[in-house]
Amino acid sequence: MTIAVVEPWVEEPLKRFVSEARVLLALLLHPSGQVLAQHGFTRAMDVMSACALAAAIHASAGELGRQLEGKPFAGLHHAGRERQIFLAPVATARGQYILLTVFDRESSLGLVQLYYGEFQARLAAAAPAAPEPAVVLAENFEGELNRNLAVLFGRG
Amino acid sequence: MSSRSPFSEMLATLIRQRGVVGSMVVSESDGIVVDSNLQIGVKGTVVAALAASLYRKARLSASAAGLGEATFLQLEAERGRVFAIGRNDLVMVTVAETRANIGLIRVAMLRALEDGGLG
Repeated sequence: MTIAVVEPWVEEPLKRFVSEARVLLALLLHPSGQVLAQHGFTRAMDVMSACALAAAIHASAGELGRQLEGKPFAGLHHAGRERQIFLAPVATARGQYILLTVFDRESSLGLVQLYYGEFQARLAAAAPAAPEPAVVLAENFEGELNRNLAVLFGRG
Repeated sequence: MSSRSPFSEMLATLIRQRGVVGSMVVSESDGIVVDSNLQIGVKGTVVAALAASLYRKARLSASAAGLGEATFLQLEAERGRVFAIGRNDLVMVTVAETRANIGLIRVAMLRALEDGGLG
């Protein structure tokens, strides 16, 4: 199993999640769209697209939840014919992240939700203390994004 | 679950068996609870996800081995048993303590299936 991470504390929880939930793809990203870790992707371009889409879906679903229930929705599931996606926030001391995962008939929504709960707890326990508050979208966002992608795909 | 469903009566019959601590109807493909009747302390969603996955794999294994459809799955653990039986992408799961009467539970689950409990 190949897990590529930008920050080492993410690796073990994500590795266990992928192994236990038997998902095809997993992506951990910042709500801004910056990738932190990935499993299953082979091209940086795919990761970049998935991150951008996941961040946008999460923002839209969150706002929809706030409009309807006064708080963001906890998770989002979309079932395709062969593959399904599950998108959900993960809270840590360093702030909120988003987990995007793709699975097929080898797994199930129930299993993914079950191991997502465990992943959340493990990631929260592994997260180091929160850094100094930074601007929401840093001036060097694009540079950071490219750096993270280069680290994940061995071009760092 | 508080509201009544087409499975409520069947689940209530199973939970009345001695030693049974939970009975559920679970979607086999999703591992999500459709309806349940559980005693306090039974982690319904966790059992449902894992038992549905187990049942599905047992069904596929039996089929791959040329044994036909899996009929009744029984898992024995240190402090209890899990039973599963399925049809139409639904799995009836029963969790019982060791003191439970396996024969009665088995008969009750098979009868519920025959009576169209899972459609």
